[in-house]
Amino acid sequence: MARGGGYFKTTYAADLALVDTRLRRRALAAFVVALLVLPRVASPFILDLVAQTALAAIGALALNLLTGLAGQVSLGHAGFIAAGAFTTGVLIENGVRSPLVALPAAAVVGAVLGIVVGIPALRLKGLYLALGTLALHHVVLYACAEFQNHWGANTGVSIPPPAIGPWVLKGAVAWYYTLTLAAALVLALSVNLRRSRAGRAWMAIRDREIAAESVGIDVARYKVLAFVWSSAITAVAGGLFAYHRAFVSVEAFGFFLAVEYIAMIIIGGLGSALGAVLGAAFVTLLPHGLDALVAGLRLSGGAAYYLFPLKFGAFGLLMAVFLLFEPQGLVGIWRRVRNWFALWPLRYRPLRSAS
Amino acid sequence: MTSILELTLPLELENLEVVYHHVATAIQGVSLKVQPSSIVTLLGTNGAGKTTTLRAISGFLGADNAQIVGGRVLFNGRPVTGRRPHELVRRGLVLVPERDKVFETLTVQENLRALVPGWLAWRAGDRPRVRLDQVFEYFPLLADRRRQLAGYLSGGERQMLALATALLCRPAVLLVDELSLGLAPAVIERLMILVARLRDELGLAVLLVEQNAGAALAVADYGYVMEHGRIVYDGPRDRLLAHADVREFYLGVGHRAGRKSYTDVKQYRRRRRWF
Amino acid sequence: MTQVLATTVVVASLYALLAAGYVLVYRATRVLNLAQGDMMTLGGYFLFLVATSVPGQPVRAIAGAAALSALSGFLIYRLLMRPMAGHPIFAAVLVTVTLGILLRAAIVLVYTDRIRHPLGLLGLANPARPLIGGAVVSTFDLFTVGAAAALFAALFLFLRFSPLGIQMRAAGEKPLLASQRGINFHLVFALSWALAGFAGALAGSLYASNVRLDPSLGVLGLKAFAVALVGGLDSLGGVIPGALIVALVEVLSVRYGDPLLADVSPFLCLLAMLLVRPWGLFGTKEELERV
Ligand SMILES: Nc1ncnc2c1ncn2[C@@H]1O[C@H](COP(=O)(O)OP(=O)(O)OP(=O)(O)O)[C@@H](O)[C@H]1O
Ligand SMILES: [Mg+2]
Repeated sequence: MARGGGYFKTTYAADLALVDTRLRRRALAAFVVALLVLPRVASPFILDLVAQTALAAIGALALNLLTGLAGQVSLGHAGFIAAGAFTTGVLIENGVRSPLVALPAAAVVGAVLGIVVGIPALRLKGLYLALGTLALHHVVLYACAEFQNHWGANTGVSIPPPAIGPWVLKGAVAWYYTLTLAAALVLALSVNLRRSRAGRAWMAIRDREIAAESVGIDVARYKVLAFVWSSAITAVAGGLFAYHRAFVSVEAFGFFLAVEYIAMIIIGGLGSALGAVLGAAFVTLLPHGLDALVAGLRLSGGAAYYLFPLKFGAFGLLMAVFLLFEPQGLVGIWRRVRNWFALWPLRYRPLRSAS
Repeated sequence: MTSILELTLPLELENLEVVYHHVATAIQGVSLKVQPSSIVTLLGTNGAGKTTTLRAISGFLGADNAQIVGGRVLFNGRPVTGRRPHELVRRGLVLVPERDKVFETLTVQENLRALVPGWLAWRAGDRPRVRLDQVFEYFPLLADRRRQLAGYLSGGERQMLALATALLCRPAVLLVDELSLGLAPAVIERLMILVARLRDELGLAVLLVEQNAGAALAVADYGYVMEHGRIVYDGPRDRLLAHADVREFYLGVGHRAGRKSYTDVKQYRRRRRWF
Repeated sequence: MTQVLATTVVVASLYALLAAGYVLVYRATRVLNLAQGDMMTLGGYFLFLVATSVPGQPVRAIAGAAALSALSGFLIYRLLMRPMAGHPIFAAVLVTVTLGILLRAAIVLVYTDRIRHPLGLLGLANPARPLIGGAVVSTFDLFTVGAAAALFAALFLFLRFSPLGIQMRAAGEKPLLASQRGINFHLVFALSWALAGFAGALAGSLYASNVRLDPSLGVLGLKAFAVALVGGLDSLGGVIPGALIVALVEVLSVRYGDPLLADVSPFLCLLAMLLVRPWGLFGTKEELERV
């Protein structure tokens, strides 16, 4: 951790490094070791939770690229997830079983959808864009539903576990490793995208579009690029989702899923990759936490009925609380805690950008 | 002037201090008095803090993330610091703002009706009653255009409409920010005469913020000069008109080498404040 | 053919009632209330609540439900939306999303997710009525059309001629200037939320009596925002043609396409509108830049 003002970068390499201070390096190493050790100590249930979080984090990171960095609000991300999942499903229905084909195919479908959405979206801003993506989500779902009907299997389609050659991905531990690795890759990708020319252009567009245009940023191109990256990654997440669930059905991709993803990046903290991951963890674990809480209370049988609406309501309430009282999200809380320790016993640091 | 009259000044500022965004002090210790049935003008260069003063009086600072950190505003002898704008208006403290002064999607007529005191007339007490036909008499131009959308009015017509709606709010004290902004000299003169007429006919107290010192001093009874958020000079009209620095910097008469504005005069220069 | 027309008008009336809520709130506060559908459901449940306590008195029940809904619209503004003043509009829209979630959760907690039919409690029947030309609609269909017509006429007169209505439009355009004219814009905004709640309650009560009542009625609200957008988010007059267009497309696709297509048809209309004329049929173009 850089103590206020005492840490300077002296080489270009140090400036370019992703993990720049010793403390951060150590924290990261400790985190990686913890992830590696976890399967030896934790139950399959815990591993599955972490895997689900990782999967959610991929989608949240992708949405964060679009909404947090480029400032283009999308209420239709569940549509991109559905598109990826259904691409996988369709390929499997047609005998293409290898995830090495299905996942890139999902990415391509996502990217194409990104272009299809991104170009008309150039005309729209803010609220109108959000509504356009929301409408698009319904249209994608409609296409998926028609497809599902034509299969004859009205309830959905089951997906066999992904296999590459003789190796079959099965069991909590294997999924745990696969999905955390995938999430780590996407995390690295999105952190690096943020530092790239495109990332800087996105942030400029987010902050003030006209100013961005006037310093020579091709706003249209970078907006579409943001859509393409975001929807491609999201669609891959959808493909992984299909494999992980071993089942694809339209019902899983309703408006609520889109809201969940938005909630992740809001609760986590808009525009921050760390925030997206934290938010994904929070939203994924919240229902399980409530379950555990209720189980701990040992209520009578009738109470179980109320569990579902309570979970639903608690989710809404938490999201509202974050929107109203902590717009910076979990990352904001984390920064305040960190600054408090870094600056103790003083309260303010000289003005500088939050990092 | 008797002491009883002093007690019930329509408007009085005591040592008002305003800070923007918790860091930037915009006005520091401004005190001024507006006598009943008089026009007081507040002069100052760009960024002197005139608009900020008016905003502070009419309770508008919150929207710009500013706050009053010291001093108080007395309206009819009662402190009103920190009251909400619409309450102040209903009591008769009415502002004609610098920008955004008409509802562009409403017609002229609707602009004139979209105000509360006209609707809650019984609460206005004994403040001068201004009727619609009276307003149309003051501003005949508006009468012709009453069915037109205010968004299609020119700058000067908007200024008139803003003034007209302010009058319909039945003001006891009228605060006007840059009456002359973007107007032709002839129109300015007419409006100034109108303001003077309002003072005489309705007994209105007016605080007139102006860049155009000549026009303002033509009608004002008293004037304050503001610089860097402080009042640097004040006096009755004739004293201001005779004052060398006012003549030079605001009226453009006379010239001493090298001096461009009040800031170049040592006695007005801002003292560096560390905290 | 006449049946298609009659059904279109009926569906359009329901959408128009809902879309009026969107437009009222949007024009005042620039926030799209994505919980409008759930406020409609709430209205339906208020009807159920009042009808169970005073059975057999339809007028009282509907009036009570509408009053409760208006009150809850007012409270929603006061408790949830007013603290969002000064935050980005997008955040405020998300608050309405959470509001929808909370309302739905609350309804399920209190009333479970069973399907209800408040009509019996009201002590009314809903006989079919043949119209000239061979079309058949239910009695409550006619009530829906009547309610929509009455609401729009009343809103039009209110916004056009009453001082309060003019103040509502003024505050929607420039809240700060409005407060400089003595208008308490928070009160006016709360009032527009109350009106939206009232319109939602009308739609909810009528739909609940006519068809059914269950916690997921809110999805109708999503379709109605397509109506509001097609007509122009800031134009109350645009709601009527918008509702007719969307309803016609939907009715036709039920008839000649399949139900899945019908469900998505409002969104197709919305997308088509966004592509051609994003500000809607009667909206103002500047609105696009504001958000
Ligand atoms: N919204 C704001 N945020 C921060 N500082 C502000 C803001 N508005 C004004 N200021 C600062 O306060 C000071 C006084 O501004 P004010 O608008 O009161 O000047 P003015 O006398 O009205 O100038 P003008 O004649 O140009 O209208 C200026 O230095 C300005 O930088
Ligand atoms: Mg000014």
